[in-house]
Amino acid sequence: MMEQDVNLTVDFAGLQLATPVMTASGTCGYADELSEFMDMSALGGITTKSITLKPRKGNPTPRIVETSAGMLNAIGLANMGMDQFIEEKVPILDQLDTRIFVNLAGQTIDEYVTVAERLAKEPAIDGFELNISCPNVKKGGITFGTDPKLIKEITAAVKNVCLGKPLMVKLTPTVMDISVTAAAAVEAGADALGLVNTFTAMVIDIQKRTPVLANRTGGLSGPAIKPIAVYLVNKVYNEVARDAGIPILGMGGIRTASDALEFIIAGATAVGIGTATFVYPDTAKNIIHGLADYCRQEGLSNISELVGSLR
Amino acid sequence: MEDKKAVNKGIFEAEVLSNQQIRQCYYRLNLQFDAKGSRLFQNVTPGQFLELDLSRVSLPDASMIPAHLRDTAVKQILLRRPFSFSDVIVTPLSEGPCVKVEIMYCVLGPATVRMMSLKSGDRISVLGPLGNGFSIPQGLKQAVLLAGGMGSPPVLHLASHLKRHHPGCEITAFVGAKSCESLPFSVRIGDHKGLVLEEFEMLQVPSHIATDDGSAGYHGFVTDKVRHWLEDQSVAPDSGAVFACGPEPMLAGTARLANDFNLPCQISMERMMACGIGLCQSCAVEIKSDAGDTKYRLCCKDGPVFDANDVLFHKA
Ligand SMILES: Cc1cc2nc3c(=O)[nH]c(=O)nc-3n(C[C@H](O)[C@H](O)[C@H](O)COP(=O)(O)OP(=O)(O)OC[C@H]3O[C@@H](n4cnc5c(N)ncnc54)[C@H](O)[C@@H]3O)c2cc1C
Ligand SMILES: Cc1cc2nc3c(=O)[nH]c(=O)nc-3n(C[C@H](O)[C@H](O)[C@H](O)COP(=O)(O)O)c2cc1C
Ligand code: FES
Repeated sequence: MMEQDVNLTVDFAGLQLATPVMTASGTCGYADELSEFMDMSALGGITTKSITLKPRKGNPTPRIVETSAGMLNAIGLANMGMDQFIEEKVPILDQLDTRIFVNLAGQTIDEYVTVAERLAKEPAIDGFELNISCPNVKKGGITFGTDPKLIKEITAAVKNVCLGKPLMVKLTPTVMDISVTAAAAVEAGADALGLVNTFTAMVIDIQKRTPVLANRTGGLSGPAIKPIAVYLVNKVYNEVARDAGIPILGMGGIRTASDALEFIIAGATAVGIGTATFVYPDTAKNIIHGLADYCRQEGLSNISELVGSLR
Repeated sequence: MEDKKAVNKGIFEAEVLSNQQIRQCYYRLNLQFDAKGSRLFQNVTPGQFLELDLSRVSLPDASMIPAHLRDTAVKQILLRRPFSFSDVIVTPLSEGPCVKVEIMYCVLGPATVRMMSLKSGDRISVLGPLGNGFSIPQGLKQAVLLAGGMGSPPVLHLASHLKRHHPGCEITAFVGAKSCESLPFSVRIGDHKGLVLEEFEMLQVPSHIATDDGSAGYHGFVTDKVRHWLEDQSVAPDSGAVFACGPEPMLAGTARLANDFNLPCQISMERMMACGIGLCQSCAVEIKSDAGDTKYRLCCKDGPVFDANDVLFHKA
């Protein structure tokens, strides 16, 4: 997108994005839920709720609890399943003038492959985000995301059926060294890296002496995680992504344009907005304007000049 | 061929007209919406709700904060908070409608403590209108309304809505609380020595009180009070209906009661909500489905009003 004098378009794993601002999985519904609040074509793209082969009911409530400067969620990948998604949501996605990434989740490698293979045939879908990092599902999910061998296996298997559409691997921050998992994904053919997902955490009800969430633990998101996420993006950019030429989608607590700029300077080619959208559904739109303003002030004609410009 | 989705909710600003304490922990907040908000809210129905961003509102003076909340009140808030309305007034003006809403709130935690410090002229961000309200069946002649504690605002709104738009409908309201102190309405001794709730009396709607400790009205659960009342009345299933909002055990009791008397029943549910607009799936309500199985529906988008027969209640 050209904001008058500033070029905000970025190249992300071979896809041209109108702006470097996307919505993060699980925080923007399935498709056009945000279209009442902003012009979706201003977004670089949207990332759908995680889609599994069969519908998933998700966890019992309470599924969320607020913390200082953040929130925990344990939604449990509640979603309508692939078939209903294709029938009801893909036609809506087809009408949207923005890039569509479908977030894939599953219990087994076969399940991921089946869903990716089927959805890759949909022209409305531009790319995939492989969720191997959901902290709220008992089987699968996070165990894939912490084991480099499994990451390679699943990334290669899904990449094989994507019909050349970009495959982004979304990493969990709850690991010893995120560069190791990032390198594993890149080695197996990932076209982009998404970081970070939420941090496993707990809130306790002191009257009942029980965890507040029915799932006991949940994933921490929101402003509380932002400085850690910026650090991890910079680390993966320096240690893996820059040399491999792999773009990063930076996520974690972004609320304002300056938050987004920190991620971009740290090495993210694009950013994903999550929790902030819950409070101001038009957050992404405001961030896009803020990015253009910054470029103008700094005399930059192209936002991609900023990527990884940390001195 | 971009078929622009109809815009029926949005973010806009409201101006505080007044914020008054009505009882111990209960306050009444009156807001006037800007042009955008007024346009969005002109056809709002009882049971719908809005979300307020209270994160920018400062804490009141420490002496104002109830002692049991001083520790938790300092917690920073991030997410919006959902509130329903006890009244909505739409004034048609030449330049468009002007909407004023009344919110009744109970001071319970960091966000509602901050609300206490709102004063006339302050501006806050509103997201709404959200959810689906009560739907009034064709030919409704008798409405039985049940309100429990902080579930009372939408029930009061429903009473005034029925009075205004369904003049042929006979309305009876039942309000339950832990004690007389915790009733969210003003209690007065009526003409026949019985207690009446002024807010309903002003609407000329007969009201009955039940308190768990017997400090006002019927001693016991409001659902038991209604059960006795229904045993003495004849409310016809095809022209009568029950509407309720309150804590979940009360709603479960109401669902059983309506079922026993064969009356249609709509209940308004509450869940912790992160977004209020169907983005996050945090507000799931378990619904019975055909095959004896259950599924989740979203309280914010599919509700908060549900058919009582559909909801699967869990023992507390
Ligand atoms: C559709 C809807 C309509 C509502 N209408 C009103 C209203 O008209 N007036 C009013 O006073 N309150 C209403 N509420 C509840 C109100 O949103 C909460 O009281 C408020 O969010 C409390 O915020 P806090 O930070 O002060 O307290 P918190 O610390 O967030 O909560 C205090 C206590 O209340 C409980 N609680 C908070 N929110 C909810 C919820 N959504 N469901 C169940 N328990 C909850 C918490 O578990 C905690 O024990 C409504 C809620 C919903 C979902
Ligand atoms: C309520 C909620 C649901 C989420 N669901 C998913 C999901 O289904 N799949 C996924 O990969 N990430 C999910 N996430 C993680 C976000 O996409 C994002 O990575 C994370 O929240 C950090 O960004 P934020 O701080 O801006 O929210 C979810 C986050 C939240 C808050
Ligand atoms: S509160 Fe987010 S989906 Fe209902």
